[in-house]
Amino acid sequence: MQPVRSVLNSFVSPVQYLAVMPEQALDNLISQVQSRRRLVRENEQLKEDVLSLQGQMQRYQFLVSENERLRGLLSSESREERMRMVAEVIAVDSDPFSHQVVVNKGSRNGVYIGQPVIDAEGVIGQVVDVGVITARVILISDQSHAIPLRAESSGIRVIAQGVGNTNSIELMHVPHSTELAEGDLLMTSGLGGVFPEGYPVARISAIMRDESLPFAQVKAVPVANLDRIRMLLLLWDSNSEYQPIRTEQDVEEERGL
Amino acid sequence: MMMHRIAQRSIIVVTIILSLILAVMPMSLAVAVWRPEWPLLVMIYWIIALPHRVNIGYAAVVGLAVDILLGSTLGFHAAAYALVAYPAAKYYQRIRNFSLSQQALLVAVLVFVARAIVYMFEHYLNNAPLMFYYFWPALSSAFFWLWVCPVLRKLRRRFQVT
Repeated sequence: MQPVRSVLNSFVSPVQYLAVMPEQALDNLISQVQSRRRLVRENEQLKEDVLSLQGQMQRYQFLVSENERLRGLLSSESREERMRMVAEVIAVDSDPFSHQVVVNKGSRNGVYIGQPVIDAEGVIGQVVDVGVITARVILISDQSHAIPLRAESSGIRVIAQGVGNTNSIELMHVPHSTELAEGDLLMTSGLGGVFPEGYPVARISAIMRDESLPFAQVKAVPVANLDRIRMLLLLWDSNSEYQPIRTEQDVEEERGL
Repeated sequence: MMMHRIAQRSIIVVTIILSLILAVMPMSLAVAVWRPEWPLLVMIYWIIALPHRVNIGYAAVVGLAVDILLGSTLGFHAAAYALVAYPAAKYYQRIRNFSLSQQALLVAVLVFVARAIVYMFEHYLNNAPLMFYYFWPALSSAFFWLWVCPVLRKLRRRFQVT
């Protein structure tokens, strides 16, 4: 059914673009008439952000080289750089029973099914459907989505499932004797082959140890704000068969940014 | 003559596409839960007005488009629309003689049934939780029928779609 669906998807994507056109026109208008003072302030804010990020980046570069050296000493495989592309959510209303967003990149840009999607804070979800110019991303909070995780502090591996609520996911099959604690950060474990290792996903918010149930009930809050995503990042493994394809329009947009 | 006829028919397609755009147009969540089931409203109108032209098959195709636009499992809305289109197609003569407010009540019931069918599929196949606000559009659809029906009738007469 998948090829059928993606063909049909490309068919209806004009409707999606038409539906968001009024909103985008309004957004454009608003950004056109922004006051000079506001732009100056925003510019200052951005410069500050860049400075602090560059500071962090220096440390990151150092850590990367150190990490590589240590990995070399342990003679374990070194990690590949990942390629990424910024995508914008075109705010198309979706089925209330599932948590999905539509983004403005499609197979034309090399997007593929099962591709991991993150934003500035953490993991958002994965691509489930690809049209030519749009793709549909399923969020980790969807009740049909599960993601393999590892606790950052204890290294315990768990699987988190969505429950249909954007600010809560549930950990499955956690024994009562678990060492997990409230506040633990959960990272992607890299198992399962969809999500790359080491991206933050959620923080444990509550552990209920009801002995009458076979497993402990563990709830976690996604670190990304799943209900207000606007820009997100599509990730590509550098040695996979799928590679990002930048169209001229993308290059121009990036230059403009 | 031929071209003229195609132009007439295209009115039906244009209204359906408009309804699909309205169905996915972004809105704030508070308003979006009251969003009428536009494609179904338009389908019901055309089925009652031109039952020899627009049939259950149309309803199924439009439902399929809704499935793709909303990202739900293929066929949920298609089945729901087709099932709801059946009574409309079967009793079109009776429904035409209803007053506008009676029709609006009937539309509320049809939209409710369509949503209930989609919900049942979602519940049994995708474990969807029950959200009562999912059924509120039945009321708003009935309300908007009072406006959609005269507008479409005017369009149909203006362009003499038969």
